[in-house]
Amino acid sequence: MAKTIMVIDDSASLRQVVGIALKSAGYDVIEARDGMDALSKLTGQKVNLVVCDVNMPNMDGITFVKEIKQLPNYKFTPVIMLTTESQEAKKREGQAAGAKAWVVKPFKPEVLLGAVQKLVLP
Amino acid sequence: MNSLLDNTGGRNYPAALALAGALMALFWPHAGWYGILGALAFLAAGAYAWLQLSGGKSDPRAEVHDYLDGRQQFAEEVTPVWCRHIESSRSQMEDAVSELASRFSTIVDKLDETLRLSSAAADSQDGASLSRVFTQSERQLGEVVATMKSALASKHAMLTRIRELEQFTRELRDMAEGVASIAAQTNLLALNAAIEAARAGPAGRGFAVVAQEVRNLSNRSAETGRSISDRVGKISVAIVSACKAANESSAAEDQAMQSSEGTIDAVLREFRNLTDAMAQSSELLKQESVTIKGEVGEALVQLQFQDRVSQVLGHVSHNIGLLPSLLDENRRQYQHGATLEAPHANALLGELEKTYAMAEEHAVHRGDQKAIAAPSDEVTFF
Repeated sequence: MAKTIMVIDDSASLRQVVGIALKSAGYDVIEARDGMDALSKLTGQKVNLVVCDVNMPNMDGITFVKEIKQLPNYKFTPVIMLTTESQEAKKREGQAAGAKAWVVKPFKPEVLLGAVQKLVLP
Repeated sequence: MNSLLDNTGGRNYPAALALAGALMALFWPHAGWYGILGALAFLAAGAYAWLQLSGGKSDPRAEVHDYLDGRQQFAEEVTPVWCRHIESSRSQMEDAVSELASRFSTIVDKLDETLRLSSAAADSQDGASLSRVFTQSERQLGEVVATMKSALASKHAMLTRIRELEQFTRELRDMAEGVASIAAQTNLLALNAAIEAARAGPAGRGFAVVAQEVRNLSNRSAETGRSISDRVGKISVAIVSACKAANESSAAEDQAMQSSEGTIDAVLREFRNLTDAMAQSSELLKQESVTIKGEVGEALVQLQFQDRVSQVLGHVSHNIGLLPSLLDENRRQYQHGATLEAPHANALLGELEKTYAMAEEHAVHRGDQKAIAAPSDEVTFF
């Protein structure tokens, strides 16, 4: 059975791009436009991994990671931050929030897939 | 402009010039009444010029207020339009790139489906390749040909046996003719014996009976011999006819066999060509698919630059949106009695810098126009 990955980004084109890369590797993809939208879509949904942007309206990526770590069903779901942010301070914020990896855009599909394969839950 | 307005000497210079002209006219040697009239003319012109300069001017601080209000109105009217254009461009670019990415997604899906169907055609579910199917078909058809050849060989052997039967019937006919000949000779001997018995008189009466019986037997033997010969002749005719029919059939079957073998070879050759072509096509499709996927991967990297451009435009748009409030603050400070100062660019640029997320935004801010982000190979695992 295909693993499910949630992609959170306020850019529809970026969600499409990440979706193409993941679907071509056999993953099912759920899209959300920001942290708030993602939390509303998580209810009862089996998710094996989350790929999340940092700078988003309504709820940014760091806040989302903090929120998901409070949810019993998703506290162990690995989160990869996929962002244009390259500042070390932001990375440390992501790490402190509970993210498992940090990938900087623009990314090569094989690089993202490598990180996903390493972290995705069975 | 402020210095000119605040310069009272500059404002009064027409009156000073008129006074100087009047004095020169009065004290010009031998001026007389003409000097007095010239002095009055200079004074009137100076007074007129002074009135012109003084009468058109309002309070300088009020003029600055008007200017600042106009500047504020200008900023509040212009910047929203600029921002709307930037947001509209961002939105259009986002939609277009999203649509482009969607098309790429469709292309990738169709490519995967084509590759799957091609692989399914080239390889069956248990992994048997087209080549293996061909080899199996070739072997099965070879077995059919061998079976047909074996049946034909059996038929030829049977025909040989039938031809041998024909020889046997000839021998039987000769034997029957031999029987008839013996019967004829026996009949002749019995006739001679009957003649000799008649010459012997009463003593030969018994021998005459025996001779008659022998003649009867010889006649029956001759009859049987003829009957055998007749039957064997009929059998021989039937066998010859059967042999002829079998020979004709055998020749037709040999020809049919050769034709079938040729047809099967031709079909197998065509099948082989077809399977080879399909295998090559499938392999080519796989190679092309790998190439296309590589190209799509590159395209996916390039499409991400739209997101970066969109973010930069968003930051600039936000910063442009701050301009009216910055100008308003500058105006308010002046209204509260502070010295009028030009707005500081650093205030706005500092706010812009705070919004930067990308390294090249900082680089471009510093003036490094060559700063272009490269696709990242690096993943930081925590």
